[in-house]
Amino acid sequence: MIPGKYRTNPGRITPSNFELRLTKDSSFHNRLLQHDIEKNYSSRQGDGRVISPSPRNKPSFVPTTTNMTDLCGLELKTGANSLSAFGDSSIQTPTKSRVRQGCHSAGPNVSGDHVYLGSSSMPSFPVLHRSSEEKILYSDRLTLERQKLTVCPVIDGEEHLRLLNFQHNFITRIQNISNLQSLIFLDLYDNQIEEISGLSTLRSLRVLLLGKNRIKKISNLDNLKSLDVLDLHGNQISKIENVSHLCDLRVLNLARNFLNDVDDLNGLSSLTELNLRHNQITSVRDVDNLPCLQRLFLSYNNISCFEDILCLADSTSLSDITLDGNPIAQESWYKHTILQHMMQLRQLDMKRITEEERRMASIVARKEEEKKRESHKQTLIKEKKRLTICNVARKWDMQQNRVTSGPSSSQDGKDSDVPSQDTCQLNGSGACVYPEEPGSLDPVLSTALQGLAVIENHLVEVDGDTLFLYGSGALESLDRNWSVQTAGLVTTVSFTFIEFDEIVQVLPKLKIKFPNSLHLKFKETNLVMLQQFNALAQLRRIDQLTIDPQGNPVVNFTLWKYYVLFRLSHFSMQKINGTEVTQNDMIMAERLFGILAHVASSELPQYRLLSLLGEVRKKQFRYLLEGKGKKSGVVSEENNENKRLGGENTNRATLNYTTRDFYTEKLEEIKEKKKFCKTYIHDLVKEAAEINMKNESLQKLWPQMFIELVRDAVIEIRNKNSYMKLCLQRITDTK
Amino acid sequence: MLSPDRLALPDYEYLAQRHVLTYMEDAVSQLLENREDISQYGIARFFTEYFNSVCQGTHILFREFSFIQATPHNRASFLRAFWRCFRTVGKNGDLLTMKEYHCLLQLLCPDFPLELTQKAARIVLMDDAMDCLMSFSDFLFAFQIQFYYSEFLESVAAIYQDLLTGKNPNTVIVPTSSSGQHRQRPSLNETSALEGVEASLFYQYLENLCDRHKYSCPPPPLVKEVLSNVQRLTFYGFLVALSKHHGINQALGALPDKGDLMHDPAMDEELERLVVRSRLHRTSQKHRSHQAVAFGFRRSDKLEALESLPSASSTQMPYSCRWESRE
Repeated sequence: MIPGKYRTNPGRITPSNFELRLTKDSSFHNRLLQHDIEKNYSSRQGDGRVISPSPRNKPSFVPTTTNMTDLCGLELKTGANSLSAFGDSSIQTPTKSRVRQGCHSAGPNVSGDHVYLGSSSMPSFPVLHRSSEEKILYSDRLTLERQKLTVCPVIDGEEHLRLLNFQHNFITRIQNISNLQSLIFLDLYDNQIEEISGLSTLRSLRVLLLGKNRIKKISNLDNLKSLDVLDLHGNQISKIENVSHLCDLRVLNLARNFLNDVDDLNGLSSLTELNLRHNQITSVRDVDNLPCLQRLFLSYNNISCFEDILCLADSTSLSDITLDGNPIAQESWYKHTILQHMMQLRQLDMKRITEEERRMASIVARKEEEKKRESHKQTLIKEKKRLTICNVARKWDMQQNRVTSGPSSSQDGKDSDVPSQDTCQLNGSGACVYPEEPGSLDPVLSTALQGLAVIENHLVEVDGDTLFLYGSGALESLDRNWSVQTAGLVTTVSFTFIEFDEIVQVLPKLKIKFPNSLHLKFKETNLVMLQQFNALAQLRRIDQLTIDPQGNPVVNFTLWKYYVLFRLSHFSMQKINGTEVTQNDMIMAERLFGILAHVASSELPQYRLLSLLGEVRKKQFRYLLEGKGKKSGVVSEENNENKRLGGENTNRATLNYTTRDFYTEKLEEIKEKKKFCKTYIHDLVKEAAEINMKNESLQKLWPQMFIELVRDAVIEIRNKNSYMKLCLQRITDTK
Repeated sequence: MLSPDRLALPDYEYLAQRHVLTYMEDAVSQLLENREDISQYGIARFFTEYFNSVCQGTHILFREFSFIQATPHNRASFLRAFWRCFRTVGKNGDLLTMKEYHCLLQLLCPDFPLELTQKAARIVLMDDAMDCLMSFSDFLFAFQIQFYYSEFLESVAAIYQDLLTGKNPNTVIVPTSSSGQHRQRPSLNETSALEGVEASLFYQYLENLCDRHKYSCPPPPLVKEVLSNVQRLTFYGFLVALSKHHGINQALGALPDKGDLMHDPAMDEELERLVVRSRLHRTSQKHRSHQAVAFGFRRSDKLEALESLPSASSTQMPYSCRWESRE
C-alpha cells in the first residue's frame, strides 16, 4: 500500500503505484506505463498485462492470445513501439502456451496453499478466507484467477481490498462484491458474465476489465463515475450506449464486439483512447466530440470510403489512428487522403508518419486537386461539346428538313408526310445519341455553362488518333496550322453532320494537312450516290472506310461496298465498315464494275479523256501516250514516280465526282456555250445552205448560159472581115 | 449515200430533223470547252474523233442529261452503254431497288433525273411497292421504253386519261361511235374486268398520234400487234406489253434480245483479263510499277472495241447518222 515500498524495484509495476499515479499524476503514470511497456516489449515477452498483481518481475500470465492482442491495444498504446502488440496473433501463439504453463507452475496465487475457499453460511456461495499472513503481505489485493469459480465467492473481512482479480473463471454474474467499496481495480476477464450488474456501490472503481465475457449491452455503470479504464473487448455489444456520464474515462476498449457504427459519443470528455478493432463498423461519426481522443483503433472493420470517417478529420486531438484491415486501406488514395485531411496525425496504422510522407501526401493531394479541377474542366468541355453537337445536330436536321421538304412540296400531298416523319426519326435518333441530361450536372458546372451561351455551330476535336469534325463549319479548321505532331498523329478522321459535297471540297486540304489519315468515318453526311465515292479517290491513302447508315442512304444499296472497292481499289483497303476486305470481295467488285472502267477508259475520245482527268493525271496520261511509242521495257524513273504518286488506275480516273453545286455551275456554263454554239452553227449552216442554194441555182442555169454565151460569140465572129476590123479598131483605141 | 427524202426539205430543216445540227453544235461546244487540249493535236483530229465516237455511241458517256436525251441516237447509245457497263450486275443476279438503279444511271450521267427512273420502275412495280427489288432485265427493258419513248408515252398517257374519263382525246376525229359508250370510272385501281380502255379504239388514237408525232415512237404495226392481242388494257398494261415486246426492242436496236441480254463475249473476255490483272495487282503490291504499265490506258484496247462495234451501230440503230459529204 505504501508506494515507496514498491518503487524500490523499478522494473516492476504494481497495482498500488499504478493506482497512485492514476490519481495523482497522469503524465507520470503515462511515463511509467511506457517505461513498463518498453521493458516488457523489449524483452519480447509480448505481454500486456502490466497491471497484473504479480510481484514477480516476469509477467505472471497471459490471457488467450487473440484477446490478448486487443487487451494490449487497450493498455499499451502509449508507447511508440507498442505496435508490436498489434502484431499478428500467430506470433504470440508459441508464447501463449509457454507462459501460461509458467503461470500455472509459478504463479504465487494459484496454489490452494494461500487461499482457502470454505463454504459459507449461505449454501451456494463459497466464502473466502485468507490467512492473516497473506492478508498482511497483500493487504489490498486479492487474486482468484483460474479457480474454476462459477460464482463470486463471499469475501469477508477484506473491505480495504483495492484490487480484485477473477480472471479465467466461469463466473456468470457479478455478485457479493458490493461491500468492497474501496475497490479500484476489478478484473473479470474471461468469465461468462452476461450482464454488467452488481457494481453500483463500487464508486471508487477506476479500472473495470470485463473482456471476453458474454455481455450484450453496456449498462449499469451509472455510479461508476470515476471509471478510468473500461475494457469490454470480446463481448457481444452492438451499440455504444450508457457511457455518456463517464467523464473521467480515458480508455475504452470495445474491440471484437458487434458494433456496426459509431455514433453519439457525447460526454466522454476525457477519453484518450478508443479501441474498436474487429467490429463490423461501416461508419464513424461524432468522434470530433471527444476533445481528448488521441488514439483510435479501427482496424479490421468494414469502412470503405473516406466520407464514412470524415469526422476524424475534424478532431484536433487525434494523433494515432489505425485503419488497416478495412476496405478503405486497399485504396490507392488511402494514405495520402488520410494524411491530407488529418494534419495532426502522428501515427497511422502503427507507423510513424514522416515529414517526407506528409510532403508526399500534400503533393499528391495537390495533384488530386488539380486533377479534379482538370476533370471539372473536362466535364465542362464535355458538356460544351455535347451541347455543341446537339446544336449542330439540330441545325443539320433543320437543313435536311429543308432539303427534303423542298421537292416534296412539289410532289403530291400524300408524300409530304414522309419527310417530316423522317425528320422526327432523325431528331429522335439525335436525342438518343446525345441525351439531354441537365440534372446530372453539378451546380458549379451549370453556372459555368451559362457562360457558354453562345454555342458554336461546329466542333473540332482531336481525341487520340482521331479527328472529329461536327458541322460544316468544322471543315474550316483544316485551314488552321496544325502542329506537325498532331497532324502526324491523326490517323482517323470522322465527319458528322456535314454535307458530303462540302467534304469533297476540302479533301485536297485534308490530304496535305493530315497525311497519315488512313481511316475515314462518315456519319450524317448525306451520302446518297455511288458516284460520290469517286471523290475519295483523290486522297493519298485510305485503309479503312466507315460509312454510318445514319444519314447516309447509300449504305442501303447492295452494291455500295463493291463500288467502293472497285473505285478505290488503288488503296488496297483493309476494312469497310469494320469488315475485313477479302480477295473475293475485290474480284467481285472487279467483276461488277470492271467493264464500266474499261468502257470509260477505252471508249472515250481522247479529248474527253483529257478533260475528265485531273491536271495531275493529265500529265501522267500524256506521258503514257507518248511512252507507248517507246520500247515498253524502258520504264523511266519519272514514270515510276508518276505511278507511285497517282497510284490510281487510269481507267478508273475517269470516274470522278463533281459536287452538285459545281455540276449545276458547269451545266450553266455548258448552256451558255450551247447557246453561243447554236447561234454560231445556225448562222454557219444558213450561210452554207445559201451558198449551196446559189451554187445549185448556178449549176442549173449554167448550161443555158453557156449555150447563150457561145451563140453570142459565134454570131460575133461570123463575119470575119468586119470582126477583124473591129478588133483592129479596139487595138488602136487602146493605144 | 444520200437519202431521197433529203430533197423534200430545205437544207436547214433537213439537217435539223436529222439532228446533224445538234451534233455540230455539240462538237463546237466541246471544242470550245477543251480548247487547250485539242489545240495540241489538231482540230481536224478532234472532229474526226468526235464524229467517230458519235457513230460508235460512246459520245454520251458521262455527258449531261440534256445532251443524252437530245437525239434518239443518243438515247439508244445511252441505253446500250448502260447495258454494256452494268450487264455484269444483272449477271450476278442481284436484285436492286429503283434508287440503286438510279445510282448506276448516275454513274454514267451525273444529272440523270430521278423522275425518269421512277417512271421506269413504275412500269415494273405496282404503285405501292416502289421500294421493291427488280431484276436487271425487267428494269432495263422498262427503262428502255420509258427513256427512249418518253415524249410519246406522255402523249399516250394523256390520251389514255382522256379516254378513261370519256373525253374526246385532243382534236382527233374519232370515226367510231360516241365515246360515251366507253365511259369508265376514272379510278385506275379499279380491279373489275372492265378495267382500262378498249384496245382497238386506243390503237386508233395511237396510230393517229404516231403519224403526227415529231418525236420517235414505236413502229405502228408493232403497236397494233401489241394491242390486237387483248380486248381491253390499262395504261401500265400497255407499257409492260411494250417493254416486253420483242419486236419493239429490235426496232429500237439498242439492246440485244432478252435471251441474249447477259451475253457479250467480247466484254466478258475483257473482264476476265481485268479480273486477272486486279488479282495480280492485289497480290503483288511490290511490283506496282511494273503492273502499272499493264494497267495503263492502252490504245489497242480501244482499237479492238472499235472493230467490234461498227456492225452493231450500223445495223441496229435506226437513226444512225450518215456523215458522207453531199458531193
